[in-house]
Amino acid sequence: MFIGQDITRVDALDKVLGTAAFAHDLKKNTMLFACVVRSSRPHAMIRKIDTSAALALDGVVKVLSHKDIPGENLFGAIKKDQPFLAEGRVRFKGEAILVVVGVTEEIARKASGLVDIEYEDLEYISDPFLSMRSPTLIQDGGNLLSHRKVIKGDAGKGFESSYVIVENTYSTTWIDHAYMETEAGIGYTDERGHIVVASSTQNIHYKMKEIARLLAIPPEQVRVVQATTGGGFGGKLDVTVEGYIALAVYHTKRPVVMRYTREESFLGQTKRHPLYIEYKTGAEKDGSLTAVEVNIIGDTGPYISYGETVCLRAAVHATGPYEVPNVLVNSRMFYTNNPVSGAMRGFGVPQLALAHESQLDEIAQRIGMDPLDIRMKNALKRGSLTATSQVLNHSAGLLETLKGIEPFWRARRKQGPGSGFGLGCMYYGIGNTGISNPSSCYLTFTPEGRVEMHSGVCDIGQGSDTVLLQILCDALGMEEMGIDLVRGDTDTSLDAGSTSASRQTYISGMAVCDAAQKMREYLEGQGYYSGKPLKDICREAAEKGLPVFNGHFDPPTTAPDPETSQGAPYATYAFATHMTEVHVDEVTGVCKAVKVHAAHDVGRAINVSNVKGQIYGGVAMGVGLALMEEFVPGKTESFDNYYLPTSMDMPEVEAIVVEDPEPTGPFGAKGVGEPALIPQAAAIVNAIKDATGVRMRRLPCDIERLKLALEKNKIE
Amino acid sequence: MKTISFVLNGKKTSIEVDDNETLLGALRERLGITSVKEGCGIGECGTCTVLVDDEPHYSCLTLASKANGRDIKTVEYLSSSGVLHPLQEAFIKSGAVQCGYCTPGMLLCAYSLLLKNADPDARDIKEAISGNLCRCTGYIQIEEAIKNAAEICKCDR
Repeated sequence: MFIGQDITRVDALDKVLGTAAFAHDLKKNTMLFACVVRSSRPHAMIRKIDTSAALALDGVVKVLSHKDIPGENLFGAIKKDQPFLAEGRVRFKGEAILVVVGVTEEIARKASGLVDIEYEDLEYISDPFLSMRSPTLIQDGGNLLSHRKVIKGDAGKGFESSYVIVENTYSTTWIDHAYMETEAGIGYTDERGHIVVASSTQNIHYKMKEIARLLAIPPEQVRVVQATTGGGFGGKLDVTVEGYIALAVYHTKRPVVMRYTREESFLGQTKRHPLYIEYKTGAEKDGSLTAVEVNIIGDTGPYISYGETVCLRAAVHATGPYEVPNVLVNSRMFYTNNPVSGAMRGFGVPQLALAHESQLDEIAQRIGMDPLDIRMKNALKRGSLTATSQVLNHSAGLLETLKGIEPFWRARRKQGPGSGFGLGCMYYGIGNTGISNPSSCYLTFTPEGRVEMHSGVCDIGQGSDTVLLQILCDALGMEEMGIDLVRGDTDTSLDAGSTSASRQTYISGMAVCDAAQKMREYLEGQGYYSGKPLKDICREAAEKGLPVFNGHFDPPTTAPDPETSQGAPYATYAFATHMTEVHVDEVTGVCKAVKVHAAHDVGRAINVSNVKGQIYGGVAMGVGLALMEEFVPGKTESFDNYYLPTSMDMPEVEAIVVEDPEPTGPFGAKGVGEPALIPQAAAIVNAIKDATGVRMRRLPCDIERLKLALEKNKIE
Repeated sequence: MKTISFVLNGKKTSIEVDDNETLLGALRERLGITSVKEGCGIGECGTCTVLVDDEPHYSCLTLASKANGRDIKTVEYLSSSGVLHPLQEAFIKSGAVQCGYCTPGMLLCAYSLLLKNADPDARDIKEAISGNLCRCTGYIQIEEAIKNAAEICKCDR
């Protein structure tokens, strides 16, 4: 048995030795260095570009503009709308305009500073409220990117019959992924004339297709390899360096490397969507929720990226993990001239968790109910209807996570003034929302008698390589890990989809199970399970050609109704409850998360150590979201003014793993990556309220904001 | 350009460096030691940590010329005897490694800590790695690994 064991991660040895080759570490003889010239204006027409000084610099090989793109100058994960290189107009500060290629990094960077660009400024649409009123259009179709609704029952009637109604507004800000390794990659032309790009990425097959479109060559002539990737969290889903590298290789016929500086990563890459959330909750005297009405307004920046995805996912998760008979959600995303907001761990759900969890605590307070009891009363469970009227037929362990937390909650004791406790719950649909999002893989043998797994899944540090191997071993009934992993290369794998939406364990895990089932039948016929050595089977088979077994899985979902979003957008959901103890220093405004109990229903923990690692890391990111992280467009440039939690900011964390098996998942597994983060900020904010009496409705609750709120509270 | 000599992972080394060259650049570009990572370039993240005379330094803020005559250690030193250091073993076993980009710097800070303090408590460990950012792990399994390795190192003594 490999499932449920703490199998050592297959990538750990190289990483502790320092030999793992990250994208930053890749080199080739005669390689060139490329860097991007970016817009210094948030919204402007480009009147003139003078590259003469840059080109005159010794060692500069090329300066490339949109005119040098042989194919389509547009990319996008959902829709193709973002130019690789701006054509006449820039729509955010940091937008790419040119690529400068030089013989060294120093020369390329120096030359990029010598490019002179003349702009004519346009109105800077700095927030979604300005965007919805301004006659200035950021995109031709108007400034509204997306409007999604969730309509269930009759919210108006629900409020009429409510005993208590609570209505508040919440807001969140831009968050940077801040993976330790910035975006980087290397490209070259191989002996077949194919363009090869190895990069720090979450999705190789998608990037292969984007490069092919950019260069107007068939995808078969592009190979994308995932270098060891220093974190992703959604930020390496969009095309980052890959297009520029491929374009530079195409024009120079030489290997080209590109690495973003931290400043460039902050400036040029996507962020978490800031959301403005108006939230109205109604409940009966006994705490039963009667109605929820939510109005979400989001700032998506000037290009789509994952804006529509976040708009919809935020809407369908807006009620939180509770049974609410009457729901009305309006979720709208507006274009602005702020940074492009895209995918980041949770796709809008952590922002909504802040709102629904704060609301629930206020309802509980108004009717004199315990915060844990009100959650238990309304918790989704097997047989419940979600906000989209999906019946939860299977794995739905929210109540078990609440019960896991219960003893600690009941036994909580405040440690003097400034001490407080808060709860946060969440549910999260695994995989993409209401669309097909399949994964494929294949298995074969080596002539020496080992199983070979070909996987296109990008392990970005979360541990999917190890987890998929564990699943395969058990699915094949192998006693040893006699498996070679061939991974992260479009030439040797099938499309597994992106490493996002907490989907790889569940979806790619099922694809592995599917392939394993076929291999198992073959091995059965060959006598493997009655004792014939694999070596002998493979030697005999090698003469005729080793068999290949394809695996495939696409989770069963239904497309949300376009008007009401009713339907079954996800095949399964993860559930969690966090309880956080904080200490607030009322003199300084410093809030410290002291202790967290985090209970997660993961279906089945394939690798307990990995699951805990995700929970701890998610809590850390939640602490950052709640208390310190804030990207300010035009101001934030580096870690000098963007604060990440350090070891000193980290609370003690007790992870509680709940396993309510999911019948459609591999050995019952669901996912945990994003769920680990989602309820933490909400739990912290509720704990701050408990500690100080102050309700923080805007994130982050950093020192200044919290101190100000505490002072205001004293006066009132 | 000037020639500097130092001990790198136990071996005498001489290289030519520019006056304004960082130790990070010299190690990565001239000596091919890519275990030393660049994360921010301004001494905020700690992925470029090296030990100078067994003390952690941000190599992105250290001029290469300052290494002259000093003892420089990178993560390669920990396994230079051909076996994994207990810290490396513990990092693997405790799940302290996720993306791995901060790992070499974390290991070096931990190594430096254990040289000075064979029996660190939880607070000592937190402080020792507080200048090194990790975005994946929440530090907990890293701290567990350091604690476990300290126990093993004590027994080995």
